[in-house]
Amino acid sequence: MSIQKDAERHETKHLHQYVDFTGKRVLEIGCGEGRLTWQYANGAESVIAVDLDHDSLRVAKVDRPYDLENKVHLAGAASEYLPFSKEKFDIAILAWSL
Amino acid sequence: MVHALEEVRRVLVPDGILIDMRPFAEHWRVEVVSMRGFQGTGWVDDLPEQVNGDLASNEAMRDVESRGWFRREREEFFPLFYSWDTPSEMEEFIDNDWADFIGLGEKDRKVTRSAWALGDADSRVRVRIQILIAKWKKL
Repeated sequence: MSIQKDAERHETKHLHQYVDFTGKRVLEIGCGEGRLTWQYANGAESVIAVDLDHDSLRVAKVDRPYDLENKVHLAGAASEYLPFSKEKFDIAILAWSL
Repeated sequence: MVHALEEVRRVLVPDGILIDMRPFAEHWRVEVVSMRGFQGTGWVDDLPEQVNGDLASNEAMRDVESRGWFRREREEFFPLFYSWDTPSEMEEFIDNDWADFIGLGEKDRKVTRSAWALGDADSRVRVRIQILIAKWKKL
């Protein structure tokens, strides 16, 4: 199936209008296969992207660009129980997940 | 949802930013599009699960705002497109992947198929999804 999701990148454009990722520690909740993650992660200091769907996370790990391997960390976690210490992130993104 | 937002608040630094970005049910339009332009051919039906989910999400954000956990700084809607080469591919996706959230009536399917069949050689079909983006600051 030849589906294209947001080929115009409207989502990324709006996200960058709303927040400056430069040097920021980012938590993305509901990263799925990383479609959005790869679009903003370059400027961030670090990104932890979580999702409950392990199949999607497997795809994300395969698709993760080489230059983001040390910057973007993928993990299985639910938003109700985030396995992180307090005040660890500058930005949190609820990506289609609230 | 409120518990999840409490968790997000816990892991954010003081004055940290929360971005809430999600599709919002609003009878998304179906369109046939080519290099020459696009035409609307129908609207999807919002199913109760999607509508109720939107309402619950909005209520959760109002709740955390009233508790003084976050303050809304900015919000808007923008379009995002999912597109397919053919109407049958779109219908398959809607019927399988979005079956719990939206539906597409037979009349809208027929209009879309006809418009696509009579359209330009490069015609595709797409759904114009309404996306909500909101910026919240941790208080």
